[in-house]
Amino acid sequence: MISIENLHLGIERKEILKGIDLHLEPGDIYGLLGPNGAGKSTTIFALLGLRARESGQISVLGHDPKSHAAQIRGAVGVMPEHAGFYEWMTAPAYLRWYGSLYRQAQTEKDLRILLGKVGLGDECRCTIGTYSRGMKQRLAVARALVTHPKLLILDEPTNGLDPKGRREMHDLLLEFAAEGNTGVLLCTHLLDDVDRMCDRIGIMDRGRTRIEGRLGELLTEQGAGQYYRLRVEGAPYTADLPMGLSLRDNQDGWWRVQLQPGNPNGPSFFWEELWRRGWHILEIRSESSSLEDLYLNITASNHPHLQEAA
Amino acid sequence: MKSSWIIATKESTEILRSQRGLMGLLIYSGLLSAFSLLLVSNTELSLLDNAQVVYMMAGTVLSAGALLASILGSDTYAGEKERGTLVPLLCTPIDSTALLTGKGLGMLIVWCIMFVTATPYLWAVGASGQNLGAALVYLALFGTPVVLGFGLLAMALSARTGSVLASSLSIITLLMLAATPLLIGPGLRGTAIGRAMDAVNPFAGALNTFDSVIIDSEPFSAQMARLLLVAVWLIFCLMVARRNAAHPNFQ
Repeated sequence: MISIENLHLGIERKEILKGIDLHLEPGDIYGLLGPNGAGKSTTIFALLGLRARESGQISVLGHDPKSHAAQIRGAVGVMPEHAGFYEWMTAPAYLRWYGSLYRQAQTEKDLRILLGKVGLGDECRCTIGTYSRGMKQRLAVARALVTHPKLLILDEPTNGLDPKGRREMHDLLLEFAAEGNTGVLLCTHLLDDVDRMCDRIGIMDRGRTRIEGRLGELLTEQGAGQYYRLRVEGAPYTADLPMGLSLRDNQDGWWRVQLQPGNPNGPSFFWEELWRRGWHILEIRSESSSLEDLYLNITASNHPHLQEAA
Repeated sequence: MKSSWIIATKESTEILRSQRGLMGLLIYSGLLSAFSLLLVSNTELSLLDNAQVVYMMAGTVLSAGALLASILGSDTYAGEKERGTLVPLLCTPIDSTALLTGKGLGMLIVWCIMFVTATPYLWAVGASGQNLGAALVYLALFGTPVVLGFGLLAMALSARTGSVLASSLSIITLLMLAATPLLIGPGLRGTAIGRAMDAVNPFAGALNTFDSVIIDSEPFSAQMARLLLVAVWLIFCLMVARRNAAHPNFQ
């Protein structure tokens, strides 16, 4: 659906993108990660033909944005990072107007279903100017979905949403990607969003793609995994541990364990196994996610303050 | 064309429904009322004749139209950028020319509303309709390209700079410069410099046409050079706007 090879792009004689690679297949939810100023938004604009490339190859839904920008934009639903609306309109009126720009007529019923899906029910009768930030965020997702796109490009879609709203948004995007011939490109700073939804990721830094691939494979290559700290009654027997779990250290009465990536069993399976092996676990605390480690490893070399944080 | 019309209806509705737009219309009506009162008092005292007041009223409508077009034009791209609505618009399949056409049509609708609003005032100051026909025809024929030209140039600056403040200050400065030959009075306008400025200034061209047809009752055939001037002005502004709107400052 998207193929970018060695993309270079400059704005006002300043080189912004210096070698971007991105590959998104149908059915994928692709997480595009990177610190502020890495070039994520510029990459999106290049995909839509709003920024002209200097070199490299871009193909979106089989078209080159340089020559077929209108076709690409007609088939892609976009949610930009700073999503604004005409605040004097109501949500259904706005979505109907926006859909008409794609030459798609929206019925009242379609709009009601879509607004319900994104969590905007009766509130949508008020003008958009009265909406909270979270409601506008939901409306921005509805705007991206209203034209039934083949590809969704979302920049920070869960910003400003409460935990319930985030979970609903995750479910909505997973449902969209499960339709088959569709894809989602997700730009976010929230690693939890990527952890939950994405099967492929790309990490960008300073205009370059540092790493790209299947999330599980990348975590395995990095030797990363999920870390937990366990407080256990007494001194447990450490010689016999379940497969997929390794012991890292013991500090101040807390045992630090690592769950290996790619394991089909969830954490609760391991706690059960440990209990069976005589570990009387009193407390479990999750440490930084493996994705966070991977992200910090990739980007921290250029950002010493992140290395310290890591 | 359909996409342009969708944009145009949104633009005009936004202006007319928003507090800003209603306030603008109120100020415009207030300005016309105050000016009409002043002109009618002058005619009653025989200080101005009927043709002169109609000419001055037509000039006021043109100036107000050009000023409003400049302000609205400055807001088109830069205002949308500042409110975060430009990127979603650029992400749709509309091409830049259709977007510009839509915004230009929106401005034309607003100018039409201003024109209609001005009609009863022109009728009233002209002692129940004298010179009304000439004022309306020439205001439409010469005023519309001048007003649209300023609006399009404001759009070009707005798309280029991405800042409402920068583009509105630039276009209002240009509008004031265009009005300078009129501000300096008929004495200086009679000089070579004044005549040269009048010859290339579309704003002055339109006002001189009003003067020529309403006060001096000259025929349409005598206005060809000025008609050409305002047409060239409109085409020039359209080209600049089209060029800048193809690559707007959106990020």
